[in-house]
Amino acid sequence: MKLIKYTISIGLIGLLTSCQNYLDVKPLESISDAQTIYDKTSSETAIRGVYSALASTNYYGTTFQSIGYLSGDNIQWTGSQSQVQEFINKKVNADNSTIASAWTAIYVTINRANNVIAKVPTVTDPALTTDLKNQILGEAYFIRALAYFDLARTWGGVPLITKPTASPTENRGIARSTQAETYAQVLADLTTAEPLLSATTNRYRATRKTVWALRARYHLYQKEWDKAEEYATKLISDNASYQLVKPYSAFFANDARGTAESVFEIFYSANETNTHRNQWQPQTNGGTRQWAPNDALVALLNDPKVGGGRSALVAKDNQNRWYGNLYYRTPAADPTYVIRIAELYLIRAEAEANQNKLTAALADLNAIRSRAGIDASTAQTKEQILLGIENERRLEFALEPHRWFDVVRTGRAATVFNVTDNNRLLLPLPAGELLIDKALVQNTGY
Amino acid sequence: MKKKLILQTIICILFVSVGVYAQKTDATINSTLSGTVIDEKTKEPLIGASISIKGTTHGVITDSNGEFYFRTGQKLPYILIINYIGYESKQFVASKSTITVELRSSSKELNEVVVVGYGTQERKNLIGSVSKINPNEVNSIPVGSIDAQLQGKVSGVQISSPTGVPGESVNVRVRGATSINADNDPLYVVDGVFINSNSLQSISTGGKSTSPIADINPNDIQSIEVLKDAEATALYGSRGANGVVLITTKRGNYEQAPQINFSASYGQAKAAKLWDLTTGPQHAQLVNEWWVNTGKDTPSLNRTFANRPFRPVSEGGRGLPEEQQTYDRLSEAFRTATLQNYDIALTGGTKSTKYYIGGGFTSQEAILKPINFTRASFKVNLDQRVSDKLTIGVNNLFTRTYRNQARAGDGPQGGLLQAALHTPTYLSPYENGVLVGRAGFDNLTLLLQNYDVNSTSLRYIGNLYFEAELLPNLKLRSSWGADYNNYNESEYWNTFLLLGAQGGLATSSITQYTTLLNEQTLTYRKRFDNGHSFGFVVGNTLQSDQLNRTYAEGRGFANNSFKIISSAATTTSTQNWSKSNLASFFAKADYNINGKYLFNASLRADGSSRFGADRKWGYFPSVGAAWRLKQEEFLKNVDLVTDLKLKASYGIVGNQNGIGNFAAQGLWTGGASYQGGAGTAPQQLANPDLRWEKTNQVNIGVDASFLAGRLGVEFNVYSKYTRDGLLQLALPSTTGFANYWSNAAEISNKGFELNITSTNINKGGLVWTTSFNIAQNINKIEKLATPLRYGSRDLILQKEGNPLYSFWVYKQLYVDPETGNVVYEDVNKDGKITTDDRQLVGSIWPKFFGGLTNTVTYKGFEISAFFAYQYGNKIYNHNKFFGEGGGARDAARIIFASNLARWQKPGDITDVPRPDGINVNNYRDGGSRWLEDGSFIRLRSLNIGYHLPKAIAKRIGAEAAKVFVNGTNLWLLTNYTGLDPESSASSDQNAQGIDLGTPPQPRSFQVGINLTF
Repeated sequence: MKLIKYTISIGLIGLLTSCQNYLDVKPLESISDAQTIYDKTSSETAIRGVYSALASTNYYGTTFQSIGYLSGDNIQWTGSQSQVQEFINKKVNADNSTIASAWTAIYVTINRANNVIAKVPTVTDPALTTDLKNQILGEAYFIRALAYFDLARTWGGVPLITKPTASPTENRGIARSTQAETYAQVLADLTTAEPLLSATTNRYRATRKTVWALRARYHLYQKEWDKAEEYATKLISDNASYQLVKPYSAFFANDARGTAESVFEIFYSANETNTHRNQWQPQTNGGTRQWAPNDALVALLNDPKVGGGRSALVAKDNQNRWYGNLYYRTPAADPTYVIRIAELYLIRAEAEANQNKLTAALADLNAIRSRAGIDASTAQTKEQILLGIENERRLEFALEPHRWFDVVRTGRAATVFNVTDNNRLLLPLPAGELLIDKALVQNTGY
Repeated sequence: MKKKLILQTIICILFVSVGVYAQKTDATINSTLSGTVIDEKTKEPLIGASISIKGTTHGVITDSNGEFYFRTGQKLPYILIINYIGYESKQFVASKSTITVELRSSSKELNEVVVVGYGTQERKNLIGSVSKINPNEVNSIPVGSIDAQLQGKVSGVQISSPTGVPGESVNVRVRGATSINADNDPLYVVDGVFINSNSLQSISTGGKSTSPIADINPNDIQSIEVLKDAEATALYGSRGANGVVLITTKRGNYEQAPQINFSASYGQAKAAKLWDLTTGPQHAQLVNEWWVNTGKDTPSLNRTFANRPFRPVSEGGRGLPEEQQTYDRLSEAFRTATLQNYDIALTGGTKSTKYYIGGGFTSQEAILKPINFTRASFKVNLDQRVSDKLTIGVNNLFTRTYRNQARAGDGPQGGLLQAALHTPTYLSPYENGVLVGRAGFDNLTLLLQNYDVNSTSLRYIGNLYFEAELLPNLKLRSSWGADYNNYNESEYWNTFLLLGAQGGLATSSITQYTTLLNEQTLTYRKRFDNGHSFGFVVGNTLQSDQLNRTYAEGRGFANNSFKIISSAATTTSTQNWSKSNLASFFAKADYNINGKYLFNASLRADGSSRFGADRKWGYFPSVGAAWRLKQEEFLKNVDLVTDLKLKASYGIVGNQNGIGNFAAQGLWTGGASYQGGAGTAPQQLANPDLRWEKTNQVNIGVDASFLAGRLGVEFNVYSKYTRDGLLQLALPSTTGFANYWSNAAEISNKGFELNITSTNINKGGLVWTTSFNIAQNINKIEKLATPLRYGSRDLILQKEGNPLYSFWVYKQLYVDPETGNVVYEDVNKDGKITTDDRQLVGSIWPKFFGGLTNTVTYKGFEISAFFAYQYGNKIYNHNKFFGEGGGARDAARIIFASNLARWQKPGDITDVPRPDGINVNNYRDGGSRWLEDGSFIRLRSLNIGYHLPKAIAKRIGAEAAKVFVNGTNLWLLTNYTGLDPESSASSDQNAQGIDLGTPPQPRSFQVGINLTF
């Protein structure tokens, strides 16, 4: 009996004293969101978190990139999922899961950037120097600019979110801004970022030079030719840092990374993998070859007068099928090439051609052709040069996310892709988002 | 530490307790009495009957010969009270020193003892809805786990086996499903220990997962009770919403001579049928047709008959259709599987000790190579009476379950059925003399030769308890239990396989799941002289669950001989840790007036660490009442009616299983690294208001038995309504989050259950009994703000006003006989077929389901046939969707023979359209053509047994011997054109009913023997 009483007493005491603590269990893999950015270290880890979002599978890892090239005319699809075929057919439905994933991933990136932009200025840790604080903020503004740029060119105007989300009731029910307003946000963020960052060279993180490069692309899209030329020149003239590497494959083959070709590439490693290769590599290389270069592209790349050294972008598997070979590494650590110096040459060429600086334009175009190991362009008129640039971009960035956006922004989708319905030039907002947020209005035609 | 302590204590008890004996009394002996208790009809001795002398506390129990013995201070004559479960109790005047007492068997149904929450009850006094299953009826079905064996046996419990792989998870739904994002599985309790029923599997087997219930050897189980309504489950309040499965394992009896049971069986299993595929020439023919058709539809494609893919090799083609070979991969992948099972058990007891020691070994091959399942188990149950007032005991289950696993579900790489089934038959496995994979899948031969994926589960389930009688009628029980599972998985993909193509890939994952449990109950029961009785139970439970997982991966091995991660060029690893605690208090009281009116009420309070700070506690009450009409005067003398009882109950039960342990907290992750530097990022938004999901349930039932118990009927109607349904509520992406945990759904389940048992013939040793059950459950999502899509190609849509798991498809009306194109229903009449035209057509829920068992015994023979059925549910034949691509998938997928019925020329009447591009129209994702009726009736098992005459048994040294043959799935009637209408590719509860790459449940034959020594 004594034993029993003793046991009961222990049981009850243990129970009553510790009940409240007992029911308060904290995770070990995560931390509370109550205190997140408060000193130098947490500021640094938070900005890395923003890059990590940029690098995520659904943004610059695979999904967002695939919108850019699948919608073009270079890629065929060999799998069974219809969402891929919709891009190739240029009949993307609002419930396409690729656009939903990309949309979500971009806004995740924006929220992370907003956290940094909102909280880092309040950090009082003396170890966080003004320079470092500015650098972190500048990087966050740059990434947010890139995110809104990608949203604007893909979907048009989107809700502009500039504050971090702290509860489920925030940052929702916000109507779409116009495409112009969205681009204005891009420019505002780039303008803010520029003085915060120093003009150093870092190919994996944003610097003032990275901001210039994105501005060059931004102005190209806005058809502000002089500005596009001006900002492209800032990079091209920085010969010490940026060069067209030779041969063409030198920027990616043999596990190369961070070459002088890259203005901004996203870093991946065995621990921070880029699953992009799985879509491209054949089964014998551990991939699925769900999408592959189509016959037309293979023919162009393998034509020594047209593709030149860019034939290295494709290879044949053991069943004589062609596959894309830009993303191939094991472990899957292929960089994502966001901005290469080659793009700045072609941006400047296009900007110059549009300002009727034909000789300069040809020179820039031929720099790219020469690097690829093909003859100089025979184009003479402005139209011929612009067409030359368009075709050059098709091959130069064959497996990078440019083709769709290029043909859309130059207004040639009807001619090149046979897309006569202008509504199709913007993709539909994900149907799921419209269901949840009544403030969102679908793009016309969907 | 705590765990170690418990284990040590258990070991102590195991080895030390044998020295303890009951107290000796030195009272004067005035008489001795020896006697035998036998069955009135059969004259067989009754073992374990209790005999007490009226007016004293002195009682004994009959031994294995039905004999008992008294030495007492009482003088003859005196009155003995004899009680035995299943028999009417008897008062007997003992006037001489040797007596024989005959007991009359009572109506079995009524006095059957049923295990309920924290106690037992006779069936006649039950208010709640409880089904009891004798595992002997089903434990020869070779499916690995006990839950899968129960299909069709329990009314209102829908059990389906989504795969033919033994030991994999099955779906068990007690009276429907109540939740979208929290679990819908019942709570499993083994001898009072709440066990983990969620798979610990972390490797991918194509959406499938292993069942933790398979760690329990069905042969160790004495009885299984399924608690269904709120009255029955309320004492398990927090987890009662999906029903409770109480598993009671075997124990010995006091004063029982040691008895050894041995059983062995051996059998074989085989697929009843396999898929019907096109031959190489047929495949080529269809591809050519598709080519030409799409060329006509879209001239810019420049596809003509002249440049069709299967044209002569000399013209640059792949050869004419008739030149194509046919390669049979299915018969390479499937096999005749071997099944073996051995069990040995020792039971017995002395005056103060009773024990059960069981050992079992099971080996079951799947019909799909190279999958197998083996389980070795060891069970020790021990109870020791320390004194008249104190009993201490232990339950221990140790199991090792080893599985050879393979991806028998969805998924291209390493996908066994994809390689076997989805690879076009015309494609040779060889290219230039080397085995190659086709169509994006692995080469089947290489896969079968090199598959190396296995898991080992080590499991301990047990508890240590003591039970003390503090005062007369007041008992205290305290129990300390643990469920510990070490789940060790490894994969090795060598360079012959796609996943390992780049130098090999090895993974290792070790998961430890620990449940620690402490529980106290205080039970009181008082019988009053006026025939009333009163009882109560109060108690508390503390439960802590913890998961640890360490995962490592290595890539790049020197050659295929190196398989261990340490020899890989690149290694990565992760670790997971998670924990939840639960504290509960409960009380239940019942009052019984004359055995005529029964009342009870209970309340349970549960505090869970998973919910918001002020929302941790949930309160779960229930009330119930029953009226035994048979006890009323007006029925007492109606012989036709043996018993009649009306019962009703109402209660609220809760659910928290399946949500994240930290679901209510706002979190940032530390796993957002970049360039090798640590990175942090928002991960989850807080919901301090997150609270219990609660289900109200009303149950009204009738229990009746007629004709001296030969016909028994149990009928229940119920209505369940779930509020505050746990849901990962979608957030607009503009927030930067995909969703957050909230209480946002409401779901209802309404239905009935009918259970009929009858003894049709009982004459001259011939007994024929029938047991039939049927149930209906109508499930409906009452409230859900935005529809949720699940499954491949969004085939399942959860939408307000419809049942859970409804299929969302484009409804095919017909194939236009003129054009050969599918005409879909244009729901919104806008002239276009778009997503808006998808509609909900049927769901995975059957309109009714159940089982039918017929058993005939004659002399030593026993034949039992058990059918399970369901009617009105839908299943999506996703294999056929891929296999009826009309040639558009060309060399990328198989074509099923059913595609040959395609439209070819105007006037053709068929439901298979002409071949054209996939997803364009005729072979559109989510077409209703592949949504099929999943109704079925199957002969789940057929058992024939023969008890050898005692004389023959004796000759081999046994007390009793039985030989048996057993067949499962011998017959199946269904309209489903796939292999098995229960197939489902994913163990995701929201994506059920999609059949893709799933081996069917096999047909099997077994022979076996049971021996008792």
